[in-house]
Amino acid sequence: MKILITSGASERSAALADHLTREHEVRLTERAPVNSAHNFVQCALGHDRATNMLASGMDVIVHAVDPLPGEDVSAQIDAATRCTYNLLLAAADEDVPLVILLSTLELMADYPAAYRVSETWRPLPHTQPPTLSKHLAEQVCREFARERKLRVVVLRWGEASDTTVFEAVDNALTSVEDWAITHVGEIER
Amino acid sequence: MKVLILGGAGMLGPYVARELADRHTLRITDVKEPAEELPGDFLHLDVSDLDAVVEAAEGMDAIVNLSVLRRDRQIAWDVSTRGCYNMMQAAVTHGIRRVINTGPHLTVAGRNITECFDFGIGPDIPPQSGTYIYAITKAMGQEICRVFTLHHDISVQTYLFCHFVDPQSSRLGNKRVPYAVSWENAAEAFTLGLDIDLEALPSRCEVFYVFADMPHGKYSNEKAKRILGFQPRRDVELLWT
Repeated sequence: MKILITSGASERSAALADHLTREHEVRLTERAPVNSAHNFVQCALGHDRATNMLASGMDVIVHAVDPLPGEDVSAQIDAATRCTYNLLLAAADEDVPLVILLSTLELMADYPAAYRVSETWRPLPHTQPPTLSKHLAEQVCREFARERKLRVVVLRWGEASDTTVFEAVDNALTSVEDWAITHVGEIER
Repeated sequence: MKVLILGGAGMLGPYVARELADRHTLRITDVKEPAEELPGDFLHLDVSDLDAVVEAAEGMDAIVNLSVLRRDRQIAWDVSTRGCYNMMQAAVTHGIRRVINTGPHLTVAGRNITECFDFGIGPDIPPQSGTYIYAITKAMGQEICRVFTLHHDISVQTYLFCHFVDPQSSRLGNKRVPYAVSWENAAEAFTLGLDIDLEALPSRCEVFYVFADMPHGKYSNEKAKRILGFQPRRDVELLWT
């Protein structure tokens, strides 16, 4: 598979690229320059041809929605909403079939610890990132899935080993559902 | 009451300003100069500028958000989504408990989804804006407002509109009318929203369809009439009689 991974400056995206590159053709992207051993393309994820070119030919986009170092709250919300919208619209235009959104299990952290919270429960974001920005990114992705412009799998990560996380991503790569959410690991309390 | 109006120099802004001016002290803001003289103070303000919004809200009792930009892919997010975040952050900063937000009916019932199939659509169905830029940017702003009301003692009333009509220039069949209201009638809702006892609202986040009584039965304004006391005028009937 040809896989595009966003937020290339984050450790999580880099580790995921290291894992996926064993069996797939991986391209990393970021909104700022990044030194990477992987195939890297800088892209602002704007409303322009560059975003379409970034998505073109991909089988899967893993959208990590991580902030750049030092990015303020307003910019983080902008990246989670506008940039996600631009990326998914480009993906739909370029016939990319699947987007995997890397979200956070912190969205469910306000439920009582004794509750067995599942993916069907309503997220409880706070008013600041990362939960607000991840929640809004989920909402944007949901509308693309609802209109069947592309398929979306949301992986809400908590505290989990690399092995668990990589396994979840590997499973998501073969998803055939229009819209799916999977909780990965535990919430750190 | 001291009221900050964001986006007050747009199309609806002057009607709202004239409606509120007799009983409230207005601070009207917009990124563009008003085309006509408006009551109250005017302040040049870009709603996507967090610091500027917070500063403008100082000393206010309520915020009315009329800001909108429909098509430009950058500015639509800046105004409709980040603008809502900035507004809510300003409300938190200054302890402002009353916010009236606005948007299109599409934020709840996207134009390619519910609207095509259903009747009697109320504003409390699960939001499904779809990906149309105007709808989704406003819907994300609306969601930000909802999240803030979960964590802060702020009441947000969101008024949703579609077509605004000048009764003097209405012509039969000149436009599809799924949902319409005259400009003056729409503005009256804001007086009701500023007057209503916040404790009388069912929750801190309430959405209302504000429009005239229309015969096709597509959308329901029952909630606006029941809770706000909104009284639709019989002034847009030329659209269908």
